[in-house]
Amino acid sequence: MELKTYIETGIIESYVLGLISDVEAEEFQLMRKLYSELETEIEVVERRIERAAFDEAVLPPVQVKERVLQSFRWEAGGGGAFAGDVPPNYTFINIQPKNNDHIMVHKYWRIFFIFIVLLAKILLFLSIFYFLKYAQIKEQRTGFNFRQTSTEQYAPNISSENNFTI
Amino acid sequence: MRRDLAHIGEQALIDRLMAGDPVAKELLYDRYAGALYGVAIQLVPVRSRADDVIVRVFTWAVQHIGSYRTSGYQTLFSWLLRKTREFAIKEAIPDNALGGAELVKNEEGVLKRFYVCLPTTEQQVFRLCYFKGLSITTIARMMGTSEGHVNEILKVAMIAFRKFLLDNWN
Repeated sequence: MELKTYIETGIIESYVLGLISDVEAEEFQLMRKLYSELETEIEVVERRIERAAFDEAVLPPVQVKERVLQSFRWEAGGGGAFAGDVPPNYTFINIQPKNNDHIMVHKYWRIFFIFIVLLAKILLFLSIFYFLKYAQIKEQRTGFNFRQTSTEQYAPNISSENNFTI
Repeated sequence: MRRDLAHIGEQALIDRLMAGDPVAKELLYDRYAGALYGVAIQLVPVRSRADDVIVRVFTWAVQHIGSYRTSGYQTLFSWLLRKTREFAIKEAIPDNALGGAELVKNEEGVLKRFYVCLPTTEQQVFRLCYFKGLSITTIARMMGTSEGHVNEILKVAMIAFRKFLLDNWN
C-alpha cells in the first residue's frame, strides 16, 4: 500500500486517539518499520492533536494540583514508589489531604482494623456468655445450698419421726 | 516551580522526570494539566470524577515515565492523552445516571465539535468508540450490523477527523 494513501485513511489519528484495532496496530507497527518517514507524519499528527487540545485547555481546580503534588511527594517518600516499568503488586489507600487534617495509611491497616473489631466482638460475646454462665451456676449453687440447709434442719425430725413409727 | 525550568524542552523534561526531579514533576503538571483536563471533562462530564482522572494520570505518568520511550508515541502529550482516555472511560458513568447539576458544560470540546458535524451513523460509531470505549464487536451488536461495516464507518469518521484537524490546526 502506498504510504500516502495509508496515511490518508486516518490511521495515525486512530492510533493517537487509541481507536486502532489489534490487527490494524500490527499492520501499523509493520509500516513504521518499513517506512521511516511515517515517524515524521506521526509526530506531525500528534502535534496537531496537541495544539487542538491546548486551544481547548481548561484549568483544573487548585485542589487537583495539591492532590497531584501530594501524590508525587508520597511517591518520592517511598510510600508507593517503585522503579522502572514493573507495576507494584500492592496498592495504597491514598487519603488525600485537605488542610493537613488527613493522613495516608497502608491498606494493610484495613485488615488490622477488621481483625481488631472482630476480636473485640468475640471477646464481648465471650464475656457476656461467661457472665451468664457464672450467674446461672451461682444461682444453682444458692438454690442447692438453700435445699441442703433445709434438709439439714428438718432431717433429725424426720429421722425421729421415722424411729417413732418403727 | 523554578523559573529557569519553565521553558525547558520536552526531551529535557523527560530526562529530568526519569531522574526523579520533583521540579520536573510539577512542571509536567503545569504544562499538560489544562489540556488534559479539557479532554477529561469531555469524556467524564462530572467535575469531581474528571479531577480524579487527572490525579490518576499524573501519578501514573510519574511512576511509568520509563515506559514512555518504548510506547511508540512521539510526544509526551499523546502518551498522556491515551492514558487520560483510558482512565476517563473507567470513571465514566452512564448518561442516564447523571443529574443536571453535576454536569459540566462540555459541548464546546474539539472532539464533540467534530463529531456533531458527522452523519448520524458515523457520529454514533465515533461516540460509542471514543467516548464510551466500546469495542467494534459490541458496537456492531448494538447497531445490529456486522463488525466489518462498523469498521468501515469508523474509517470514514477517521478520514473526516484527519480533514477536520488539517482544516483547523495545520
